[in-house]
Amino acid sequence: MATTIDNPPRTDAVRGRSERTARTGVGPLERQRRRMFWPFTAPALIVYAVLFIAPVGYALWTSLYKWDGMGAMDWRGLQNYTLLFRDPRFRTSLFNTLELMVIGGTITFVLSFALTLVLREMRAKLFARSVLFFPSLVNGMVFGIAAGFLFSPTGPVNQALKLFGVTTPPKWLSTDNLLPMVLGTLVWTATGYYTPIIMAAVDQIPDYLYEAAELDGAGPFQRFRHITLPCAWDVIAVCAVLWTVSSVKIFELILLYGGSTDAYPPVSSWNTAVYVYTEAFPQGTVPRLGTATAAAIVSLAMVTLITVVLRRLLRRDPVEY
Amino acid sequence: MGRTTVSASRVVGAATAVALALAVSACSSGAGDDAKSGGSFTYWSMWRSDEPQAKALKAAIDDFTAATGAKVTITWAGRDIAKKIGPAIAANQAPDLWDESDDKVYGTTASAGQALDLSPVLQLQVPEENVPVSQVIPAKYFDMLPKDPSGSNHYVIPYEVVTNAMFYHAADPAVASAMPSPPTDWAGLLKVCDALKAAGKACIASEGEDPWTNALYFDYLLNGAGVNVAQLSADKSGAAWDNPAVLTAAQQVEQLVKGGHLIPGYDATKFPAQETNWTAGKAAFYMDGNYVTAEVAKQVPAGWKTASILPPTAKAPDAGLIGFAIPKRAKNAAAAQKFIAFFLQKKHLSGISTTALNITPRTDIPAPAELADVQKTLEAPTVRLSFDGAGGSWLPKVLNENYLDFWHGKTTAAQFVAKCKADQVTYWQTQG
Repeated sequence: MATTIDNPPRTDAVRGRSERTARTGVGPLERQRRRMFWPFTAPALIVYAVLFIAPVGYALWTSLYKWDGMGAMDWRGLQNYTLLFRDPRFRTSLFNTLELMVIGGTITFVLSFALTLVLREMRAKLFARSVLFFPSLVNGMVFGIAAGFLFSPTGPVNQALKLFGVTTPPKWLSTDNLLPMVLGTLVWTATGYYTPIIMAAVDQIPDYLYEAAELDGAGPFQRFRHITLPCAWDVIAVCAVLWTVSSVKIFELILLYGGSTDAYPPVSSWNTAVYVYTEAFPQGTVPRLGTATAAAIVSLAMVTLITVVLRRLLRRDPVEY
Repeated sequence: MGRTTVSASRVVGAATAVALALAVSACSSGAGDDAKSGGSFTYWSMWRSDEPQAKALKAAIDDFTAATGAKVTITWAGRDIAKKIGPAIAANQAPDLWDESDDKVYGTTASAGQALDLSPVLQLQVPEENVPVSQVIPAKYFDMLPKDPSGSNHYVIPYEVVTNAMFYHAADPAVASAMPSPPTDWAGLLKVCDALKAAGKACIASEGEDPWTNALYFDYLLNGAGVNVAQLSADKSGAAWDNPAVLTAAQQVEQLVKGGHLIPGYDATKFPAQETNWTAGKAAFYMDGNYVTAEVAKQVPAGWKTASILPPTAKAPDAGLIGFAIPKRAKNAAAAQKFIAFFLQKKHLSGISTTALNITPRTDIPAPAELADVQKTLEAPTVRLSFDGAGGSWLPKVLNENYLDFWHGKTTAAQFVAKCKADQVTYWQTQG
């Protein structure tokens, strides 16, 4: 659409454009557009600056102090950061965040691709997609609360397993199984979320490509590898970034699966989000806003870095069809 | 991007608001005088308006307004109040009066020097009773509290007292025959547990996910052995864990775990699964705060009779206070103090027992029938804070998970003690 306007050299001669405009290379529409650029983007930029950049800047500043939110702020410099990295609890939190991101992401996308493979050729696929999407509509907290009932030793899950002859089911709700349970719930909801998005891209791929491949003797997996994957690559890359960003946000699931009425979840199951929360809203003591914001800044830096690297790695020339 | 920054920006957003408000209020503040406000004040409550405690407080406030003409602006804030009070104080927007448990009042305000010393309230007369407040509220409840930076432990005036104990159904024949009289030493408790096991009943129902209630056994045993948990937790070298009494207490807890005295499946359920099992008679004892009686009131079978004991050898019962506090920056502190004395009148404070079914600090107000035992326990000459007041992030970062691993039988007593010692050393190294 924009190409005919942004590409003056080809049209200049035909349209007899004047020397002056040809020299600046800007047409009237483009000039108008440039004039309108700031009035239209400024409000968004202001909102962005006030609601995002300023708080992040303020967090950065706070992270250099020791502060309880009420009294005076004591200058600490980078000491909050060095303390964070010496705290084995924070290192575990970082590791858990990465574990949820990488393992959860891998399983989610493998499942999504498998479902894409099946769903493309299946009847009633719209219905199947709705069913898959449904879990992501439900608030994560519902799973956390329902789990206590579903997975209790005499609960419905174990009753069902008994029908299949499993007499010694795992202790689902024990502290050891906390992260796997969180991971399971996460994969379940995320698969339902990303599969329809990837499927929407797959639906745009013309059928003749698949038909041609079939005639050439390609099986379902080869069709997936040589047609679906390259043609839907842009969407998959965006999904991967979305997943990375959202996996760092996981918070309420850990709190609900692992927390009790009196205590936070076991410290070995914390991710950086929970770590920040416990520092900022501790039980029975003043907040440690310096370390809380330092931890938040570290995880922001981490997710930014990973997103940039991921974008680089996933960059491909778009396939046109 | 990411929940971390959401929470961060929440914190920071709040902090920004606080900073702005500070800047604004710095110009406008100046202690308001009571004369101008006519004895009126603002009150933020930890209760929601539909809770019974709120009803008792509301009735007293109406009475206070009728008697003095002072207007009380109430916000029924609920338990989030502990998170809101700090930012509110920083922004000079704090109420003149608020209430919470002693640990929250200390942790969020008093420890930072932001709570008013309420010693003058103790000298105020309780209206219509002609005695000072200090005579109706036993001094032992203040003596157990940690001191704030100015050396005061009168930053909270209690109107409700809570304790933690092993609760049981006294009319259960299996319990009655296993425990003809309360055991006086640890071996005695184990004997009761053995007798219960022989009768096919588990000794202890435990919410295995919850470190706090389960660690109360260890806490009471340490108390019995003369170990102060606050001092234990404050030792930066971790050497306090080498005290043989600590290992002995852990080994006693281990006897419960290894002896099979905890209800089967306790390590694979979530609250309130085991509380329900306990009321269904599947186990004899359930360690919790005395609010458990109100929690299970609707599910206990007919003829249920609540009684309680402390783990044998414990020297002093736990006490938790719920009471009034006044921020140091409150503008109408005198009016709020007057109301505290007003609420402590027998006729008003009784509502905490009759309406809210809880225990008051006044010994002349009888506790609800199911808490009679607990009130008797609290008559001990001295009381203590649970974990001797040790708290903050020491619990989640040092004790809780190590204790759960131990309580679930994954580690031995010796391993548990060694792990706590090691984690405590790194904990203090990273506290700055």
